[in-house]
Amino acid sequence: MKRFVFGAVSALVLGVSAAAAADYPAKEIQGIIQWGAGGSTDTVMRSVTPHAEAVLGGTVVMQNMTGGVGAIALNHVAGQDADGYTLLMGAENPLLYKVMGLGDKDYSDFIPISILARGTPILVANPDAPFNDYAGMMAYIKEHPGELRVGATGPGGLPSVVTAMINTVEGKMNVISVPYDGDGPALTALQGGAIDVMPAVLGAAIEGIRAGKMKPLAIFDVAANPKLPDVPPVTDFNAAYSTYLPWGPFFGVFVKKGTPDDVVAKLAAAYAKGAENAEFKELMDNRGFNMLAISGAEAEAFLAKWQQGTTWLLQDAGLTKTSPEAFGIARP
Amino acid sequence: MDAVLAFLTVFTHPELLLLVGLGTFAGVYVGAIPGLSVTMAVSILISFTFSWDVHPAIALMIGIYMGGVYGGSRTAILLNIPGAPSAIATALDGYPMAKRGEAGTAIGVTTVMSFIGGFIGIGVLAVAAPFVSDFALKFQPRDYMLLAVLGILLVGSLSTGSLVKGIFAGALGIAIGAVGRDPLTFSERFTFDLPLMQGGISFIAVMIGMFGVSEALMQLHHVNKDAVRQQISRIVPSLSTVKKHLPLSVQTSAIGVLIGALPGTGGDIAALMAYDHAKRVTKNPERPFGDGAMEGLVAPETANNAAVGGAFIPMMTLGIPGDAVTAIMIGALFIHGLNPGPMLMIDQPDMFWFIVGALVMANFFMLLFGLTGIKLFTKIVEMPRSVLIPLIMLLSIVGAYAVNNSLTDVYWMLGFGFFGYFMRHYGYPLGPVILGVILSRLLDDNWRRAIISEREDLGRFFHGVFTSPLSTVLFIAVILIFVSQTPIWAKAKAKLLGGSGQGVEQ
Repeated sequence: MKRFVFGAVSALVLGVSAAAAADYPAKEIQGIIQWGAGGSTDTVMRSVTPHAEAVLGGTVVMQNMTGGVGAIALNHVAGQDADGYTLLMGAENPLLYKVMGLGDKDYSDFIPISILARGTPILVANPDAPFNDYAGMMAYIKEHPGELRVGATGPGGLPSVVTAMINTVEGKMNVISVPYDGDGPALTALQGGAIDVMPAVLGAAIEGIRAGKMKPLAIFDVAANPKLPDVPPVTDFNAAYSTYLPWGPFFGVFVKKGTPDDVVAKLAAAYAKGAENAEFKELMDNRGFNMLAISGAEAEAFLAKWQQGTTWLLQDAGLTKTSPEAFGIARP
Repeated sequence: MDAVLAFLTVFTHPELLLLVGLGTFAGVYVGAIPGLSVTMAVSILISFTFSWDVHPAIALMIGIYMGGVYGGSRTAILLNIPGAPSAIATALDGYPMAKRGEAGTAIGVTTVMSFIGGFIGIGVLAVAAPFVSDFALKFQPRDYMLLAVLGILLVGSLSTGSLVKGIFAGALGIAIGAVGRDPLTFSERFTFDLPLMQGGISFIAVMIGMFGVSEALMQLHHVNKDAVRQQISRIVPSLSTVKKHLPLSVQTSAIGVLIGALPGTGGDIAALMAYDHAKRVTKNPERPFGDGAMEGLVAPETANNAAVGGAFIPMMTLGIPGDAVTAIMIGALFIHGLNPGPMLMIDQPDMFWFIVGALVMANFFMLLFGLTGIKLFTKIVEMPRSVLIPLIMLLSIVGAYAVNNSLTDVYWMLGFGFFGYFMRHYGYPLGPVILGVILSRLLDDNWRRAIISEREDLGRFFHGVFTSPLSTVLFIAVILIFVSQTPIWAKAKAKLLGGSGQGVEQ
């Protein structure tokens, strides 16, 4: 009897999930955005999703769920059914949760639908700063130890990774690290003179650079960026950076692990098509993001490589709470 | 000439005019419901207007924004539940008026004053935006910190009765605001290792609970009493009333524009500071503050609507949001292919003038929708309590849930509602709690930023304060306002003037 009930139930479950996949989406899909309204992740997701919706033939209702460096949103989606009706729209941060002690879940509990794009970091300074490039900044730090104020966005944020990279390559910098809520407020503070230097994503700084409100010191990449061809890549100053570059924050859409394969395939196809939209591509280009639009094994490999490189960099800089080794993340 | 044409875009395109009107109308009602915020409405609109042109999309958003900021005052006056954080101060004097049957007058004055405040804000945006944004950028972390301290001192004006109880309430608010992961280092504070507490306590849930649920519980005390009949003969305030309050409204609008233009502070703080200012400068209110003083309505309502124009100043000139709503609008501009930033005014000045035009139109619509339909609204308070109390509870629950679509917030809201009821019962004012929650992060983050920037050296910190004229002025204001609330001041004043002393000006 027990066996029969079990069989009946599992048949029912299988039947339901098969039906769910065939006519997916049968209801509204929830899109949980990890970051606040108006931020980069929010803008990217709200621009690509309508194009994906058109392919999918359904609606994705997006809402912002902020807090805990995105962990609140991640845990929320992880707590929903793995039926493809709740999407996580996030950035790179979750890959650092484990080593930073921010949570016990990361993207390994999810399936990537699409890793949409990657950003490029750039080092910018207040226009009145007494140096004009990366070499000048390093010389200034040596002459004035403990004077330069560098913006930060908390452990695991882009500035902390870039700073860790500089510390690893050049030896520990003696600077003051001033924490802000995000790169928006920090770049505002930079223009007001509250901080002198800020590592930011290119897209957030580009308009300020164009207007002369901040000056670029170096692009954190192995080659100059077509958006700012006159700004030298940091590898021009110190070739040792090429070990860690190219590196950058990224945006992606995810579903919980266990979501039926055909639902994943449907979503991945929709977002891949959506990311090809000309308007979306132009928007991403304007903001200085490199399009990736990868999914499946390629996306998994990208995530694994990113996590390895970044967590070990932070580990070597002494910024982690737990060694990546403890979570089975091998040294690259 | 191009500027004039761009400014007139809204007026010459009927569909844009209609969208601004529609937005404003929707905004008034969205704003009036606690928990349904303008921020939420505008972020939903981003997806909704995705395929539209940029002009209609922005026109609709601006309407919602303007209407929503005003709409928060409706429920504050009628039910003592602020529809939005920026209407908290409005409830302090608006609700006592409604209890006396003067809800119509209160709403009328609020509407006209919001209109005036809105115009001053838009005027400053149109005329002096680059100048104001340069000034706003000058604010360093230590200045934000001093501003927050100045805000904390408002506890004195927001507490009726015992100051000690007011200070307790304010401190409680600051503690509530600190719960969760610290945004600067991500370490947990006051979370007791509960995952539930990591995200912090939703400030809107606290506000709705403390005002909404506790009000419903208070009403239960006299569930059998008849509701107050509202006189609605005089809705539009007389010209002499407007004239009388014009000087105050100009001052409080100035506060609103500046606080609104500062990235990191918005209409909520502006309204509370304006209320405090009104209390200081009004020598002889017709009725005492907290008991239905007209000035107590004029000040916050002019300030929060002036803050709308203020919030657009850094957005249009620098691409830096002045508040949460303008942050979303920047995202909207990106999505529609514009590049908001310092170059927007130079590359596309017509967008600036279009927004100014849309704001002007929204302000007129706000006046129109504000002054009509009051009769219907006042009927709400005339409803029997057996209908009204469940209605308040329903609104509170829906509102708290809607903020984050989270049931946890509803529990927080109910918990704080019961707690708020007992606080009121024992004479603890609720305003300072909300003030504390609003200012908690501003104070904490900026104090830490300021002291870290000075290598954690107090000497260097004070050197910084006294070498910057802005910080010096703020510091002196803090000292003066603090001293003016102590008995020493009253004694000194009595000795010096030999008469009855009045409060100092800010």
